Amino acid sequence: MKKLMNILLLSCLKATELMEKKLHIEISFKEKIQLKMHTTMCGACKKYEQQNILLDKLLKNKNSNKLNIKIEEFKSEIKSKINK
Amino acid sequence: MQNAETDINQWVNDYTEELLRRASYKINNHEDAKDIVQETFLAAAKSLDKFQGKSSPKTWLFSILNNKIIDYYRKNSKKPKTSDIDTVSFFFDNDGGWNAPQKPNNWEIQDNEQHLLDNYEVIEVLNYCIENLPEKFNTVIKSKYYTKKKTEEICQELGISATNIWQIMHRAKLRLRGCIEQNWFVKVNK
Repeated sequence: MKKLMNILLLSCLKATELMEKKLHIEISFKEKIQLKMHTTMCGACKKYEQQNILLDKLLKNKNSNKLNIKIEEFKSEIKSKINK
Repeated sequence: MQNAETDINQWVNDYTEELLRRASYKINNHEDAKDIVQETFLAAAKSLDKFQGKSSPKTWLFSILNNKIIDYYRKNSKKPKTSDIDTVSFFFDNDGGWNAPQKPNNWEIQDNEQHLLDNYEVIEVLNYCIENLPEKFNTVIKSKYYTKKKTEEICQELGISATNIWQIMHRAKLRLRGCIEQNWFVKVNK
Protein backbone atom coordinates (compact mmCIF):
# COMPACT_ATOMS: atom_id res chain seq x y z
CA MET A 1 0.00 0.00 0.00
CA LYS A 2 2.76 2.38 1.00
CA LYS A 3 4.70 1.53 -2.16
CA LEU A 4 1.67 2.17 -4.38
CA MET A 5 1.05 5.49 -2.63
CA ASN A 6 4.63 6.47 -3.24
CA ILE A 7 4.28 5.91 -6.97
CA LEU A 8 1.01 7.79 -7.25
CA LEU A 9 1.61 10.48 -4.69
CA LEU A 10 5.39 10.72 -4.30
CA SER A 11 7.33 9.79 -1.18
CA CYS A 12 7.87 12.46 1.47
CA LEU A 13 11.48 12.66 0.33
CA LYS A 14 10.48 13.30 -3.30
CA ALA A 15 7.69 15.65 -2.30
CA THR A 16 9.97 17.84 -0.20
CA GLU A 17 12.58 17.86 -2.97
CA LEU A 18 9.96 19.05 -5.38
CA MET A 19 8.93 21.82 -2.98
CA GLU A 20 12.49 23.09 -3.01
CA LYS A 21 12.62 23.02 -6.80
CA LYS A 22 9.29 24.84 -6.96
CA LEU A 23 10.69 27.72 -4.89
CA HIS A 24 13.35 28.35 -7.50
CA ILE A 25 12.03 27.25 -10.88
CA GLU A 26 8.79 26.39 -12.62
CA ILE A 27 7.74 22.75 -12.09
CA SER A 28 5.62 20.75 -14.55
CA PHE A 29 1.84 20.43 -14.38
CA LYS A 30 2.13 16.76 -13.47
CA GLU A 31 4.54 17.59 -10.67
CA LYS A 32 2.20 20.28 -9.36
CA ILE A 33 -0.70 17.80 -9.19
CA GLN A 34 1.44 15.15 -7.52
CA LEU A 35 2.64 17.65 -4.96
CA LYS A 36 -0.86 18.95 -4.27
CA MET A 37 -2.19 15.41 -3.77
CA HIS A 38 0.68 14.55 -1.49
CA THR A 39 0.32 17.56 0.79
CA THR A 40 -3.45 17.05 0.97
CA MET A 41 -2.85 13.65 2.47
CA CYS A 42 0.36 14.18 4.41
CA GLY A 43 0.24 16.55 7.39
CA ALA A 44 4.00 16.46 8.01
CA CYS A 45 4.82 17.53 4.46
CA LYS A 46 2.10 20.18 4.54
CA LYS A 47 3.85 21.68 7.56
CA TYR A 48 7.22 21.31 5.88
CA GLU A 49 5.95 23.24 2.88
CA GLN A 50 4.73 26.18 4.97
CA GLN A 51 7.92 26.20 7.01
CA ASN A 52 10.10 25.96 3.94
CA ILE A 53 8.39 29.03 2.48
CA LEU A 54 8.91 30.89 5.77
CA LEU A 55 12.55 29.85 5.76
CA ASP A 56 12.93 31.16 2.22
CA LYS A 57 11.45 34.51 3.29
CA LEU A 58 13.69 34.63 6.36
CA LEU A 59 16.76 33.99 4.24
CA LYS A 60 15.79 36.65 1.70
CA ASN A 61 14.82 39.07 4.42
CA LYS A 62 17.70 38.62 6.74
CA ASN A 63 18.67 42.00 7.98
CA SER A 64 22.24 41.98 9.20
CA ASN A 65 21.76 45.31 11.01
CA LYS A 66 19.30 43.65 13.30
CA LEU A 67 21.86 41.01 14.13
CA ASN A 68 24.47 43.65 14.92
CA ILE A 69 22.16 45.25 17.44
CA LYS A 70 21.77 41.85 19.02
CA ILE A 71 25.54 41.34 19.24
CA GLU A 72 25.95 44.80 20.79
CA GLU A 73 23.33 43.87 23.40
CA PHE A 74 25.22 40.70 24.17
CA LYS A 75 28.48 42.64 24.57
CA SER A 76 26.88 45.07 27.05
CA GLU A 77 25.45 42.15 28.96
CA ILE A 78 28.91 40.60 29.34
CA LYS A 79 30.46 43.93 30.32
CA SER A 80 27.88 44.58 33.02
CA LYS A 81 28.56 41.14 34.51
CA ILE A 82 32.33 41.67 34.49
CA ASN A 83 32.16 45.13 36.02
CA LYS A 84 29.86 44.13 38.84
CA MET B 1 42.85 48.38 38.08
CA GLN B 2 41.04 50.98 36.06
CA ASN B 3 43.32 50.11 33.21
CA ALA B 4 42.70 46.40 33.40
CA GLU B 5 38.99 47.02 33.36
CA THR B 6 39.30 49.14 30.26
CA ASP B 7 41.33 46.39 28.63
CA ILE B 8 38.80 43.69 29.17
CA ASN B 9 35.94 45.89 28.01
CA GLN B 10 37.89 46.51 24.86
CA TRP B 11 38.38 42.77 24.38
CA VAL B 12 34.66 42.20 24.73
CA ASN B 13 34.18 44.73 21.93
CA ASP B 14 36.85 43.19 19.74
CA TYR B 15 36.51 39.44 20.22
CA THR B 16 32.92 38.56 21.20
CA GLU B 17 31.86 37.81 17.66
CA GLU B 18 34.81 35.58 16.84
CA LEU B 19 34.55 33.71 20.11
CA LEU B 20 30.83 33.21 19.62
CA ARG B 21 31.38 31.92 16.12
CA ARG B 22 33.90 29.38 17.35
CA ALA B 23 31.69 28.32 20.28
CA SER B 24 28.65 27.99 18.01
CA TYR B 25 30.62 25.84 15.66
CA LYS B 26 31.67 23.48 18.44
CA ILE B 27 28.47 23.38 20.43
CA ASN B 28 25.13 22.34 19.10
CA ASN B 29 23.06 24.70 21.19
CA HIS B 30 22.99 28.44 20.75
CA GLU B 31 22.21 29.43 24.35
CA ASP B 32 24.98 27.22 25.69
CA ALA B 33 27.42 28.71 23.18
CA LYS B 34 26.54 32.21 24.41
CA ASP B 35 26.91 31.16 28.03
CA ILE B 36 30.35 29.77 27.33
CA VAL B 37 31.51 33.00 25.67
CA GLN B 38 30.26 34.93 28.68
CA GLU B 39 32.02 32.55 31.08
CA THR B 40 35.20 32.96 29.07
CA PHE B 41 35.23 36.71 29.62
CA LEU B 42 34.34 36.34 33.29
CA ALA B 43 37.19 33.88 33.78
CA ALA B 44 39.53 36.21 31.91
CA ALA B 45 38.50 39.14 34.11
CA LYS B 46 39.17 37.10 37.25
CA SER B 47 42.62 35.92 36.26
CA LEU B 48 43.72 39.03 34.46
CA ASP B 49 46.87 39.16 36.58
CA LYS B 50 47.95 35.84 35.05
CA PHE B 51 47.86 37.31 31.62
CA GLN B 52 51.28 38.82 31.16
CA GLY B 53 51.09 39.75 27.56
CA LYS B 54 53.24 36.80 26.49
CA SER B 55 50.62 35.92 23.93
CA SER B 56 48.07 38.14 22.25
CA PRO B 57 44.82 38.68 24.18
CA LYS B 58 43.01 36.89 21.37
CA THR B 59 45.12 33.75 21.72
CA TRP B 60 44.68 33.85 25.47
CA LEU B 61 40.89 34.23 25.23
CA PHE B 62 40.63 31.42 22.71
CA SER B 63 42.63 29.10 24.96
CA ILE B 64 40.21 29.85 27.82
CA LEU B 65 37.28 29.28 25.47
CA ASN B 66 38.67 25.93 24.32
CA ASN B 67 39.00 24.76 27.91
CA LYS B 68 35.42 25.81 28.59
CA ILE B 69 34.26 23.85 25.57
CA ILE B 70 36.10 20.74 26.75
CA ASP B 71 34.56 21.17 30.21
CA TYR B 72 31.14 21.54 28.62
CA TYR B 73 31.39 18.23 26.84
CA ARG B 74 32.82 16.55 29.92
CA LYS B 75 29.97 17.85 32.05
CA ASN B 76 27.26 17.05 29.59
CA SER B 77 29.00 13.88 28.44
CA LYS B 78 27.73 14.68 25.01
CA LYS B 79 29.74 13.78 22.00
CA PRO B 80 30.90 16.60 19.76
CA LYS B 81 28.45 16.94 16.92
CA THR B 82 29.02 14.88 13.84
CA SER B 83 28.13 16.94 10.85
CA ASP B 84 28.75 14.37 8.16
CA ILE B 85 25.97 11.89 8.86
CA ASP B 86 24.02 11.24 5.72
CA THR B 87 21.28 13.83 5.64
CA VAL B 88 18.69 11.82 3.74
CA SER B 89 18.91 8.72 5.92
CA PHE B 90 18.77 10.90 9.01
CA PHE B 91 15.46 12.44 7.97
CA PHE B 92 13.81 9.69 5.91
CA ASP B 93 13.40 5.91 6.04
CA ASN B 94 14.11 3.56 3.14
CA ASP B 95 10.71 4.20 1.54
CA GLY B 96 11.22 7.97 1.65
CA GLY B 97 8.83 8.50 4.58
CA TRP B 98 9.73 10.81 7.50
CA ASN B 99 11.63 9.23 10.38
CA ALA B 100 9.30 9.82 13.33
CA PRO B 101 11.60 12.07 15.45
CA GLN B 102 12.36 14.30 12.46
CA LYS B 103 8.76 14.88 11.39
CA PRO B 104 8.02 18.61 11.18
CA ASN B 105 6.09 19.93 14.16
CA ASN B 106 3.53 22.68 14.04
CA TRP B 107 5.14 26.14 14.08
CA GLU B 108 1.81 27.98 14.13
CA ILE B 109 2.93 30.22 11.32
CA GLN B 110 -0.50 31.37 10.14
CA ASP B 111 -1.10 34.31 12.49
CA ASN B 112 2.51 34.72 13.40
CA GLU B 113 4.39 35.15 10.17
CA GLN B 114 5.29 38.83 10.37
CA HIS B 115 6.21 38.48 14.00
CA LEU B 116 8.55 35.61 13.16
CA LEU B 117 10.15 37.47 10.25
CA ASP B 118 10.87 40.51 12.44
CA ASN B 119 12.08 38.61 15.48
CA TYR B 120 15.76 39.18 16.32
CA GLU B 121 16.03 35.91 18.13
CA VAL B 122 14.72 33.94 15.18
CA ILE B 123 17.29 35.64 12.96
CA GLU B 124 19.97 34.86 15.49
CA VAL B 125 18.98 31.20 15.58
CA LEU B 126 18.89 31.16 11.77
CA ASN B 127 22.45 32.51 11.62
CA TYR B 128 23.63 30.01 14.14
CA CYS B 129 22.02 27.20 12.16
CA ILE B 130 23.57 28.38 8.87
CA GLU B 131 27.03 28.43 10.49
CA ASN B 132 26.42 24.92 11.74
CA LEU B 133 25.71 23.46 8.30
CA PRO B 134 28.33 21.21 6.71
CA GLU B 135 30.53 23.28 4.46
CA LYS B 136 28.99 22.42 1.10
CA PHE B 137 25.47 23.24 2.34
CA ASN B 138 26.67 26.41 3.98
CA THR B 139 28.26 27.56 0.72
CA VAL B 140 25.17 26.77 -1.37
CA ILE B 141 22.86 28.68 0.98
CA LYS B 142 25.14 31.69 1.22
CA SER B 143 25.81 31.84 -2.53
CA LYS B 144 22.12 31.59 -3.32
CA TYR B 145 20.68 33.95 -0.74
CA TYR B 146 23.40 36.37 0.28
CA THR B 147 25.65 36.88 -2.67
CA LYS B 148 22.65 36.21 -4.94
CA LYS B 149 24.71 34.37 -7.48
CA LYS B 150 23.07 32.84 -10.52
CA THR B 151 22.38 29.12 -10.37
CA GLU B 152 24.82 28.39 -13.21
CA GLU B 153 27.54 30.26 -11.41
CA ILE B 154 27.03 28.34 -8.16
CA CYS B 155 27.04 25.03 -10.04
CA GLN B 156 30.24 25.95 -11.79
CA GLU B 157 32.04 27.03 -8.63
CA LEU B 158 31.04 23.95 -6.68
CA GLY B 159 31.43 21.60 -9.61
CA ILE B 160 27.87 20.29 -9.40
CA SER B 161 25.19 19.75 -12.04
CA ALA B 162 22.01 21.82 -12.40
CA THR B 163 19.84 18.89 -11.23
CA ASN B 164 22.10 18.27 -8.30
CA ILE B 165 21.89 21.80 -6.95
CA TRP B 166 18.21 21.45 -6.02
CA GLN B 167 19.05 18.28 -4.17
CA ILE B 168 21.86 19.96 -2.26
CA MET B 169 19.64 22.96 -1.54
CA HIS B 170 16.92 20.56 -0.35
CA ARG B 171 19.33 18.75 2.01
CA ALA B 172 20.55 22.10 3.32
CA LYS B 173 16.97 23.26 3.98
CA LEU B 174 16.09 19.98 5.70
CA ARG B 175 18.94 20.59 8.13
CA LEU B 176 18.18 24.28 8.57
CA ARG B 177 14.53 23.58 9.25
CA GLY B 178 15.39 20.86 11.75
CA CYS B 179 17.94 23.05 13.51
CA ILE B 180 15.55 26.00 13.78
CA GLU B 181 12.80 23.79 15.12
CA GLN B 182 15.13 22.37 17.73
CA ASN B 183 16.65 25.68 18.80
CA TRP B 184 13.67 27.95 18.55
CA PHE B 185 10.24 26.41 18.33
CA VAL B 186 10.76 23.54 20.72
CA LYS B 187 12.25 25.86 23.30
CA VAL B 188 9.58 28.54 22.97
CA ASN B 189 6.73 26.07 23.29
CA LYS B 190 8.16 24.29 26.32
